[in-house]
Amino acid sequence: MMRVLSFLLTIALVCSATVAFAQTKSTVPRGPDAKPDLTGVWQGGSTIRGSWDEANGGLGVGGSGRNPNTPTILSSNDRPAGREAAPYQEWAAKKVMESFNKRGIDDPTAFCLPGGIPRAVMLGLYPQKIVQTPKEIVILYEYMNVFRIIPLNAKHPEDLLPSYLGDSVGHWEGDTLVVDVTGFNDKTWLAGTGTFHSEDLHITERYTRVDKDQINYEVTMVDPKVFTKPWTLHSTIMLREGTRLQEYICAENNIDPARYEELLKQGIKISR
Amino acid sequence: MARKLFWMCAAAGCALALWAIPASAHHSFGAEYDANQPITVTGVVTKIEWTNPHSFIYLDVTDKSGKVANWKFEGYGPGVLYRNGWKKDVSMKPGDHITIFGWRARDGTNWAHSREITLADGKKMMFGPPAGTGDGGNTPAVDVR
Repeated sequence: MMRVLSFLLTIALVCSATVAFAQTKSTVPRGPDAKPDLTGVWQGGSTIRGSWDEANGGLGVGGSGRNPNTPTILSSNDRPAGREAAPYQEWAAKKVMESFNKRGIDDPTAFCLPGGIPRAVMLGLYPQKIVQTPKEIVILYEYMNVFRIIPLNAKHPEDLLPSYLGDSVGHWEGDTLVVDVTGFNDKTWLAGTGTFHSEDLHITERYTRVDKDQINYEVTMVDPKVFTKPWTLHSTIMLREGTRLQEYICAENNIDPARYEELLKQGIKISR
Repeated sequence: MARKLFWMCAAAGCALALWAIPASAHHSFGAEYDANQPITVTGVVTKIEWTNPHSFIYLDVTDKSGKVANWKFEGYGPGVLYRNGWKKDVSMKPGDHITIFGWRARDGTNWAHSREITLADGKKMMFGPPAGTGDGGNTPAVDVR
C-alpha cells in the first residue's frame, strides 16, 4: 500500500513539475504567426501584476491610493524619480520651466486635446486596449477616446498630415514589436509638464511582452529642433484581465480652462 | 549592519517603485486647488454630475448658526470612478448624508477638490486624486539651470 502511495506521489510531483516548467516556458501568449500576442487590456506606468483592483487597491491610482493625505503623487505630468532630465536645448528648457512654474495650466489635455505619445501609453489612470492581427495592430486608448492603427511591415504614406498621434508603422524584431511614428503636429506633451516638441518629432517604440502580465516599453524621441540628443524612457505596461475600456468624452463638462482664466483674472496666485 | 542596510534599501526601492506609478491628470488640480488647505466637511448631497473629464458633487453644509451653504467638490470622471468601485446612482445619491475630505480652491470659494468620501453607511471611498495631481510634481522634466 505504501509503495503504491509513494509511486503515486512521485508521479504527481513529476507531473506538477512538468506543468510548472511548461508554464514558465509558455507564459508569453502567441498568435498564429508565433509572434507574441499583445492583445488585451493594459495599464501603462505600473509595475504591479494582477487585476485592476489588485494593482490599484480599488481606491484610485497613484501614490498609495490608500492615504488621502498623500501630498503629491506622480501623474502623467510628473517626472518619475530617477529619470534623467529631458535633453532640451537651453531655450527649450526655459519654455518647459515656464509651463512647470504655471503648474501646467497650458497642458493640452486641459483643453481636451489628446495626450499624445508616449504620454498616452505611459499613463496609468486609464487603460488601453491592444488588438493584434498578423497584418496590423490597433491600440485603443480610453483617455480622450483616441486610437492608433499600426500596419506591420508597411511604409509611412508620403502625404502625411501632421496629427496628434502621428502615423505609426510596425515590424517585429524577434519578439519585440518596433513601432516607428512620425507625422506629428506640435500640439502634445511627451512625458511631463511642458515637454513640448516640434513637427520634426520622430519616435521609435519597442514593445516586448516578457511574460503573460508584462510588456517592457522603451521609447526614443528624436527632435533636433528642441533636443540636444535623443531622449529615451523605459516603462512597463501591465495586463489587466477583466477590465473594460469605458467611454471618455472630454468635451462633456470641461470647465477647467475657463476656471484658470477666472482665477488669473481675479489675481489669484496659482504659479509656483 | 550591511544586511540591515540592504533590507532598508530594498524597502526604499519598493517605496520608490510604488511612488513612480503614474496616475494621470486631465488638468492641473494644483493650479485650481491649494494643497495647503485641506478641508473636511459633512453635509447632504444635493446633486451629482457624473461627467467627463471630471465629476462634481454638490453638498449642502450647515454651519453652527444653522446657515446652509452649498459646496461643490470636483473628482474623477465616471470611468475612473467605476473602476474604483463607484456605482452611479447607487453608491451615493442626492439626500445622502456624507463627509468629504479634500482641498479648497485657491480663490477661497465654497469649491474644493475631493479625495476621500465617507458614505452614509460609514464606508470610505476615493472620489478624486491626491492633492497637487497634474501640476508637474516636485521635479520638472528638465534640470533647472
